[in-house]
Amino acid sequence: MGDEKISLKNISMRDAFFMNLYEIAREDPHVMVLSADMGAPALDRFRRDFGNRFINVGIAEHNMIAVATGLANEGKKVYTYAIAPFITSRCHEFTKVDASLMKTPLTLIGVGAGFGYEDSGPTHHTTEDISIMRALPGLEILSPSDSVIAGKCARYTYNSQHPCYLRLERQKVPLIYGDDEDVNQGFAELRKGSDLAIVSTGNMVHRALDVASKVGNLDVGVIDLYRPKQISPEFVQALSQYKRVVSLEEHLLAGGLGSIVAEAICDNRLPTQLKRIGINDKYIYKYGRDALHRAAGIDEQSVIAAVQNF
Amino acid sequence: MSNIPGPKIADLYRKTNEIRQNTLDMCIRARTGHVTSSFSCAELLTALYQGGIMRYDPQNPKWEDRDRFILSKGQASPILYNVLADLGFFPKDWLDGFATGEGHFGVHLQGDIPGVEYTMGSLGHGLGIGSGVALAAKMGLKDYHTFVLMGDAECYEGSVWEAAMFAAHHRLNNLTAIVDRNGYGVMGATEEIVKLNPFDEKFKSFGWDVRKINGHSIEEICSALEDVRTRKTEKPLAIVADTVKGKGIEFIESVARWHGLAPLGEEGVKAKGQLGEYSEEVQRWATRKYL
Repeated sequence: MGDEKISLKNISMRDAFFMNLYEIAREDPHVMVLSADMGAPALDRFRRDFGNRFINVGIAEHNMIAVATGLANEGKKVYTYAIAPFITSRCHEFTKVDASLMKTPLTLIGVGAGFGYEDSGPTHHTTEDISIMRALPGLEILSPSDSVIAGKCARYTYNSQHPCYLRLERQKVPLIYGDDEDVNQGFAELRKGSDLAIVSTGNMVHRALDVASKVGNLDVGVIDLYRPKQISPEFVQALSQYKRVVSLEEHLLAGGLGSIVAEAICDNRLPTQLKRIGINDKYIYKYGRDALHRAAGIDEQSVIAAVQNF
Repeated sequence: MSNIPGPKIADLYRKTNEIRQNTLDMCIRARTGHVTSSFSCAELLTALYQGGIMRYDPQNPKWEDRDRFILSKGQASPILYNVLADLGFFPKDWLDGFATGEGHFGVHLQGDIPGVEYTMGSLGHGLGIGSGVALAAKMGLKDYHTFVLMGDAECYEGSVWEAAMFAAHHRLNNLTAIVDRNGYGVMGATEEIVKLNPFDEKFKSFGWDVRKINGHSIEEICSALEDVRTRKTEKPLAIVADTVKGKGIEFIESVARWHGLAPLGEEGVKAKGQLGEYSEEVQRWATRKYL
């Protein structure tokens, strides 16, 4: 299994996911991928080997969800694929009615969560997907922080009987997990601390780990909530170890990860204090991830300062 | 003209009239329901379900080889529920609970009711879903046919045309879209809201075969649909059925303010009177030229 970890080292989350989906599709002829005119290196093999099981529906996200719903209800295992803002916000009502309301077990794959399309501007940023997708009953959100978890999401979504939204970081990120990570856990306490914990998801987990190792005067834990709708007793237990928790997200504060953590604290009557770090009610015209993060106040220096002042 | 014999055609008109009456009764009882949207597609539903067009089994609603019928204009649920109850998909007394606290279903179509394929109510979903269903049949070499019934004002939704392009591109000749062209949206005539004409030309230009019929003529409906499984073309088929919104109750026909309403009180009595019993006269008004 160690070999697999090495082989994932320079592979994006997207390619790790599609590599594993390819293996599943070899076993099951009902696996299909619908794309809104978006490719991926790891999808080329799928297209070549499985012919009509890959369909480019064109830039037509509403129809992609509808067609996928028809196929899924006739026994196909369907994955729909697009840039994250267009598979979440653009066709949200189709996902509500066709997938969530009708309990259709299809998977939406969005690439470029947060500021992943760093040079493309706010039309291509996805800073509200957790808020709006978690409002859909029965639809699960998967928000991996590395290619190990992203790869495991292929088997997980294949086996799931409910709709899923997989939000993927576009850039390559370092590996965090070993192959033994069980995604059924929904979260992982990556680092234990005695003063406070940073809870994060997706690519920002890496920022949380960096910050935790750099705030010398504090002993900081890090929790990766990679299934942000699954608030398990174990997650609540992990939170309850800390008197102070910081949530960190490359996402709007309204309804995002910080809101999820606040709800977990509130609903479970934890005495934990919370500080939310994220994007405060704005779009940002900056280019390059560093500039975007500085403008949003989620760059390393800002997060270190916020943690130290909490 | 269709191959269905005259006496059978008369039976179908009689059945349609009965379904309209039951639907009106149900909506008056519930004091709600889209009567006018239901009545414009009454003959279409009778022809599909009782005119020998569709394959289905009320005792086995999920029969694998059934034809798939998707009522994309989900606000016409009252008449579909009456058709399905009449065929025995579920007990007729379920109709009594329409849109009530104890009832099984409400104003918009509910996908978990026996005989109903998908929840509908939000417009512009049915043709895309139907395209997926038809594509699955092609991939699995299944011979079921997929029918999608849409409203004409529903076709303002861009998703309808996304699906229309998709279905033609994928040569889904096992898909038939029927458009209930009653000429009205919620607030008025489609040609005054935003022009839909030339409506059939739109489907033609999207790569569909188009047949334009009188949607209240059982003969024309059956004739237009009887070869759907054997057409010698790869194009999907669009039936543009000219209809009258509220057909059968003269004072609500093509009157915008009746959208989504049931006639109540004296107007309910008047409506029932105008609907009347089945007669040769009913058959004549159903087939008269009106557009």
